[in-house]
Amino acid sequence: MDVQGLQMTQNTPAPGVFKRNPPIAGEAEAIEAAKNGDAEAFSKLYALHKRRVYTLCLRMLGNVSEAEDMTQEAFLHLFRKIGSFRGESAFSTWLHRLTVNLVLMHLRKKGLNLVSLEETINPSEEDAPKRDFGSRDLQLTGSVDRVALERAVASLPPGYRMVFVLHDVEGFEHNEIATMLECSTGNSKSQLHKARLKLRELLRQPEQSAQPAGFNEVAV
Amino acid sequence: MSGDNFPDFDKMTPADFEKYLPDFFANGDGHVSTDPRLQTFLKNNPDCAALVRDLEAIAEHAKSLFEPTEPSDAVWSGIQDKLKLQGPEDDELPVAQTV
Repeated sequence: MDVQGLQMTQNTPAPGVFKRNPPIAGEAEAIEAAKNGDAEAFSKLYALHKRRVYTLCLRMLGNVSEAEDMTQEAFLHLFRKIGSFRGESAFSTWLHRLTVNLVLMHLRKKGLNLVSLEETINPSEEDAPKRDFGSRDLQLTGSVDRVALERAVASLPPGYRMVFVLHDVEGFEHNEIATMLECSTGNSKSQLHKARLKLRELLRQPEQSAQPAGFNEVAV
Repeated sequence: MSGDNFPDFDKMTPADFEKYLPDFFANGDGHVSTDPRLQTFLKNNPDCAALVRDLEAIAEHAKSLFEPTEPSDAVWSGIQDKLKLQGPEDDELPVAQTV
């Protein structure tokens, strides 16, 4: 994948991302100063955006160590390429796209061919959600614990987790996800549905889905 | 998928419902439980209704995962170290000292 081209293309921002990323006071000045090599401006941009970038990496990768490495890579990339930012989209949206593309490239390098989700990152039979409706006395409604959900998401198979995070957490539309992952919109919908079914299954059996705190060593 | 491709909502079986559920979610802004076309079916199939409520709850709570998390200080240190090791063509890049 041509990361350079993808990440620097200032397409129409994802609606969900854009709504969640209003302009930040002082950001525009910091961007212009950073373009001119102002070290303190880089510091400010890092301080302003480190948590969003890191959280995105953590959700997509489900692993603290890899998330920190990718956060580092994202900002190194940003520092090298900030001169090409033209302000046609929100800076946070541009950085968000850059980060998503870097993570996807990272996963491809690890052997996850995201080009065909159907064939390469569909989970094994035992990972796939069970195809039953379940009993009503185990309803989750109103009782989904955030920490339990974080752990369950981190334990999802990579393909499920990717689509779930991009759609339900980050607010991308199915057509945008399909473009990013180079799959069909139907596949994106299907993966999202399976991800939610799997999460339901995991959340109804918390003792079986429990992971060590901090998402360590979750297979990606 | 257009609405024309959906099954007859009055004659739909739970298996049909399961098959089309991803599209119901995708086409209904994520609110299947309030889709007027499905009210009769969901009333008559409480297990399907429970499934829908659970999946909607998961989707709703997923938004809470958007809340940012702080990376460790090692990330910034790593960035500074790598910037210092850049080649000559990258020497113009500044090395910020503080965050």
